[in-house]
Amino acid sequence: MKEKSPIVFVVDDDDAVRGSLRLLLKSVGLAAQPYGSAQEFLQHYTPDQPGCLVLDVRMPGMSGLELQQQLNVRGAVLPVIFITGHGDVPMAVEAMQHGAFDFLQKPFRDQDLIDRIQRALEKDRGYRQELRKREQIRERRDSLTPREQEVLDLVTSGKANKVMAADLGVSQRTVEIHRARVMEKMGAASLAQLVRMVIDLRSEGEETNAS
Amino acid sequence: MLTAVNAPKTLQAILDAAVDGVVLIDHRGIIEAFNRASECLFGYAAAEVLGQNVSMLMPAGEAAAHDAHIARYLRTGTPHIIGRGREVTARRRDGTEFPIFLSVGVVPGSDPPRFLGFVHDLTLRRNTEERGRLLQERLTHVSRLAMLGEIASGIAHEVNQPLTAVANYAQACERLLGGANPDIEEIREALREISAQAVRAGDIVHRLRSAVRTSDQSRAPVNVNSLIGELKDLVVGDARRHNVGLHFELGENLPLVEVNSGQIQQILLSLLRNAFESLAHANSPAKQVTTHTRLSPDRDVEVHVCDNGPGVPERNVPRLFEPFFTTKKVGTGLGLVTSRSIAESHGGTLSFRPNVPVGACFVLRLPTL
Repeated sequence: MKEKSPIVFVVDDDDAVRGSLRLLLKSVGLAAQPYGSAQEFLQHYTPDQPGCLVLDVRMPGMSGLELQQQLNVRGAVLPVIFITGHGDVPMAVEAMQHGAFDFLQKPFRDQDLIDRIQRALEKDRGYRQELRKREQIRERRDSLTPREQEVLDLVTSGKANKVMAADLGVSQRTVEIHRARVMEKMGAASLAQLVRMVIDLRSEGEETNAS
Repeated sequence: MLTAVNAPKTLQAILDAAVDGVVLIDHRGIIEAFNRASECLFGYAAAEVLGQNVSMLMPAGEAAAHDAHIARYLRTGTPHIIGRGREVTARRRDGTEFPIFLSVGVVPGSDPPRFLGFVHDLTLRRNTEERGRLLQERLTHVSRLAMLGEIASGIAHEVNQPLTAVANYAQACERLLGGANPDIEEIREALREISAQAVRAGDIVHRLRSAVRTSDQSRAPVNVNSLIGELKDLVVGDARRHNVGLHFELGENLPLVEVNSGQIQQILLSLLRNAFESLAHANSPAKQVTTHTRLSPDRDVEVHVCDNGPGVPERNVPRLFEPFFTTKKVGTGLGLVTSRSIAESHGGTLSFRPNVPVGACFVLRLPTL
């Protein structure tokens, strides 16, 4: 599947701020999609669209902070850059605590915003790559037979072939064959890499449970 | 009972004990007695005034009228001031004038009649009244400044919006011009936006400045809708800060009211701010403040400022306009008091009614021209 090109979403209820941001981003070759309200953005946004979000903190209706929380609830990973005309420290702290990528005070230097947007897009790209990698690992793991899954669990918990053979009631030779199949199917070049993959999957599972 | 022997001496002692000035005159206005309090009030020693006409204790205008009053009383027996008393102006020895309350009685059985005047100095009371008035003015100014301080951050936001747009547009233009084949029409459009946004920022500053101007007490005929229009920019930031939707339903063809625009705007600003704050504690999903103007059946102009917040608990309703009554964590309890006194000084009223189905509604009524 071809990767979609990133879009900078701009959510601000002020027409002039929105329009000027769109032009500014266009002038540096970034695609921008402006929205006048948080609700409008939520209606149109699909989580598989990469990019980042430039968000005004205070808007009538749903505020920027509320939108950020909505995105968190929906599990959207879009990095959020808050812009505010208030320079309100407690609010900035709250936004950052909820995972905001950055915080800028209006009016700002264009380069400051553009730099932050570039970094946010970079982060989004990295995160989506990571997601795809994990997805791949999960697919590979799911392709293992039940016996191979057992061997995977035992290998990555540090059991020696001899011990596994005893645990599973098979010969050591059979364990070695399963183990080689597991390494091959998982695409792991070493035991260390295999362990790494399992840890990644496990930590992702924990994150999902925690959120 | 005064005996014939000690009468004059005792009488003088009694008069001297009086706190107010006491002056006895005959039917021609000649001073016959002048007590110690009078000496203090007027700055004359008794010896200087006894045998003189009482008009020396009055400014020229009052003196002429005084002679006429006595003459008329002697002729017709109709009292003018006698038995009632009124506020008049008196004159000290050094020529300065001061306000007094003068009550006059006729000495019973005297013929020709003699008159006893009691002189109560009003200087102190006048000063207190004047101080009270000044204080009230200061208070109005202070509460207005406090309010302006609070909305200043909202204003800062409002000014920052156009400034942000101006900066973005200018920087975009610079970059577009630096690129290959710049789209001139696009850049021209951005330049137009820049000047429009600069004007917008200027307007906001201008409105704030006219809201701070306070010393002006003058009144002029104005449409209350235009006062509200000017306020919009001042409250929009605040509304945004509180996540409140602002609605205006302005009646058409409203007659003019003769008011001090700044003071009426102060009332409206304070009502709007109260509404925002009450909504801050509300859980309503769509927080709204509606400002509605109309002509009442008895031809007053009415401004209704209504919110859909928690409203005012019934037990607090009678206390709403009491000084220093507040339910806010940070509040002087003077906002509504000041607002009502301003409304009343314009011949209008400020009242509360519950909003339907929920919330609070404050109604400012102003008489039309």
